[in-house]
Amino acid sequence: MIPESLRQELQRRVAGAVTPREAAVDVMKELQRHYGWLSDEAAEEAAGLLGLSPLQVEELATFYEMIYRRPVGRNVIHACDSISCWAMGGETLLRHLEQQLGIEAGGTTRDGAFTLLPCPCLGNCGNGPTIMIGDRLFGPVSPEQAGILIHELQRHGAD
Amino acid sequence: MPIYNPKFMPKLIIDDITVEVPEGTTVLEAAQSVDIPIPHFCWHPALGKAGACRVCAVKMLDGPVRGIQMSCMLPAQDGMVVSTTDPEAMAMRKGVIEWLMINHPHDCPVCDEGGECQLQDFTIAGGHGIRRYDGKKRTHTNQYLGEFIAHEMNRCIQCYRCVRFYQGYAGGTDFGVMGRASMVYFGRQQEGPLDSPFSGNLVDICPTGVFTDKTARFRARYWDYDLAASVCPHCSLGCNITPAARYRELLKVIARRNDAVNGWFICDRGRFANAAVNAPERPRQALVDGKPVTVNEALDVLVLRVGEFLELHGPASLAIVGSPRMSLEGNIMAARLCKLLDAGALSYVGDAVQAERTMGAVSLLASGNAASLADVRQADLIVVAGCDLLEEAPMMALAARQAHRNGARVFVVGDECALDGARQELYESQAVTSLSDIPLTEAKRPVVICGTHPKRPDTAPLMAPLFGKKGLQTPVKFAFILDGPNAFGCALLGREHDAVPLSQAFAGGAIKGLISFEADLPAELTAGITVLAATDWQPTGLMQRAEVVLPCTAWVEQDGTFINNEGRAQRFKQVMRPGLPIKGLDPAGHPPRIHRNDAPGGDVAPSDRVIAMLIQRITGDTPVDGPLSGRWEGLRSLDADGEGKRLTDAA
Repeated sequence: MIPESLRQELQRRVAGAVTPREAAVDVMKELQRHYGWLSDEAAEEAAGLLGLSPLQVEELATFYEMIYRRPVGRNVIHACDSISCWAMGGETLLRHLEQQLGIEAGGTTRDGAFTLLPCPCLGNCGNGPTIMIGDRLFGPVSPEQAGILIHELQRHGAD
Repeated sequence: MPIYNPKFMPKLIIDDITVEVPEGTTVLEAAQSVDIPIPHFCWHPALGKAGACRVCAVKMLDGPVRGIQMSCMLPAQDGMVVSTTDPEAMAMRKGVIEWLMINHPHDCPVCDEGGECQLQDFTIAGGHGIRRYDGKKRTHTNQYLGEFIAHEMNRCIQCYRCVRFYQGYAGGTDFGVMGRASMVYFGRQQEGPLDSPFSGNLVDICPTGVFTDKTARFRARYWDYDLAASVCPHCSLGCNITPAARYRELLKVIARRNDAVNGWFICDRGRFANAAVNAPERPRQALVDGKPVTVNEALDVLVLRVGEFLELHGPASLAIVGSPRMSLEGNIMAARLCKLLDAGALSYVGDAVQAERTMGAVSLLASGNAASLADVRQADLIVVAGCDLLEEAPMMALAARQAHRNGARVFVVGDECALDGARQELYESQAVTSLSDIPLTEAKRPVVICGTHPKRPDTAPLMAPLFGKKGLQTPVKFAFILDGPNAFGCALLGREHDAVPLSQAFAGGAIKGLISFEADLPAELTAGITVLAATDWQPTGLMQRAEVVLPCTAWVEQDGTFINNEGRAQRFKQVMRPGLPIKGLDPAGHPPRIHRNDAPGGDVAPSDRVIAMLIQRITGDTPVDGPLSGRWEGLRSLDADGEGKRLTDAA
């Protein structure tokens, strides 16, 4: 269950969209913010709010790489593995991040602080290799710079 | 759908052949129109293009567009010079097929689609014979999608046909496409039976073996099937089908294209509800008072008993009962038998209200005002009254959805809106209380769909003002939902031969006995009436009560004609020989050790033959005219592969 205030806010946004489907990403992101990830319950909630079937929400949720259908850590690191970043050393950067966090790509650290997700294209091709932590985009990022970024986050705790 | 100028016909050259096509035609369709095949997976005539598979590449040698192009995405334009055989285009197609095959398993020998697989055909045609890729294949977990459709996602080539059909064409919401990039998955959110009453079409439109018919799994290969053009008997619409049988067993039903009727698709009832043909309890043995006899012996006994009955009670006490699910031929012969015996009543329908409404509908359909399913699909305004389309004629609901997708407005009249179950899922509709609330004058192609079911309110008085209504841009076309594949034919025969509904025939108390042919009658209606004989291929109550039981062939085991709800006569051909399916026979008895000309359980004839044999016995040995003579002569040459013949247009 989501708080009534959030429900009303989302209903207002759906009503304001040209078609309910148009508000889907917005609704999913808000629910994700509330639940930490788009849980099954959140997907059901989204379907109800949008007037779509759970499958139709699932179609959208699994299409967008920043909608998480599995639990993720407090900080999600997206590392671009598309062609421009790959050409600029994205692969090395990803390996380095894996090593530093002690997890494989796709995994979450044991303390729940970090999830590392390779993804194709963050739209920052001119500044590869690129990573994105939360809502912040970084690039070009050397392995050393990435190390410092993570170290900072580890020191200061989540956000 | 964009509107093009119908008069402008672009002229282009494809492989040295000049082709002229209506504007808006794609290069792929233009090539098909002169029998030049271009491989394609995502493009489908009913679903249009997606540009997803890249396999229909051609080379544009000259004209407004040059170089390699996708022929399904490119509208034909004046001055185009197209080559399908250019080495560059062929290399492109070969390459595309090779990478579509990268993740496709090498499981053709154990795949049910093998032999009827478009991917298999185009892989071979494209010349991709040796696999160079030796890496790991992408794999998926399959889902349980119900008892009718098997799911094998590893075979998927991402053409998107299934989801475009399921959600777009058929309005389903529980099946779709998830994920992205190399992880695209076509399925449900959670395992479970597919909700759509049109889900079986996934089997037909999937160009490979992701969706196969579970009911016919691992039973036969395409080249082993007995196949023939047939017509679905499950409702009055007469959708075209191709049943596939082997070893006297109906294995599955495939949709058959008829642009005037069902288009490319059929509903799940038509596809999956045919177990009765193979059912062990199906009557296959002629019986007299419960004792097995040959058909000839049964007929001899019947002639004697009918004679005794007529002598005792007089001809007025006998009723001959035909049926809207029997072929036109059978019903014609039933009328002839009635005349020969001078029987008191000829009846095709049990219920008086049903009979009256059907008769009313048939007499209202005159030249040009009967709406075919194609007319419904192209309508710009649809009125639904007094029927539950998904229940009574599912493909009519699907046709209405296509009109709705193209912008047609749908109105449901009367307070029976709740009956129209289709409107929630397939199209949005507006409930109105009277016809005057519907902007009929704004419509260019209005169609009214009416039910005739006796339990529903009568729509005739509501609709009467529409016939010959003045002030409309185009006269309204009508579609009536009738109660059987040949209800229209029965109404025509009933009018010709003064048939009466059976309940009315019984009302006077004069009828004491009946002979029925493929009739479904409620037990309470015939209580106290002697059933002299019954002919059927289904184990009905009448068959159990009948003194003489004469089994007959099912529609897939005979040639015949059905007249659908719009008055369209359609021929269906014999698919398989009648007889007990080999599956289920005692292995000790197969192959049979005694020579015989017919299969075990195969001593059955179509109903019209049964009646002809009976007439021949009664009249002495004069040969009996075939059923399609006299006023029905014109239907003899009906082509099962054609669009049928609309009898309402003939006048």
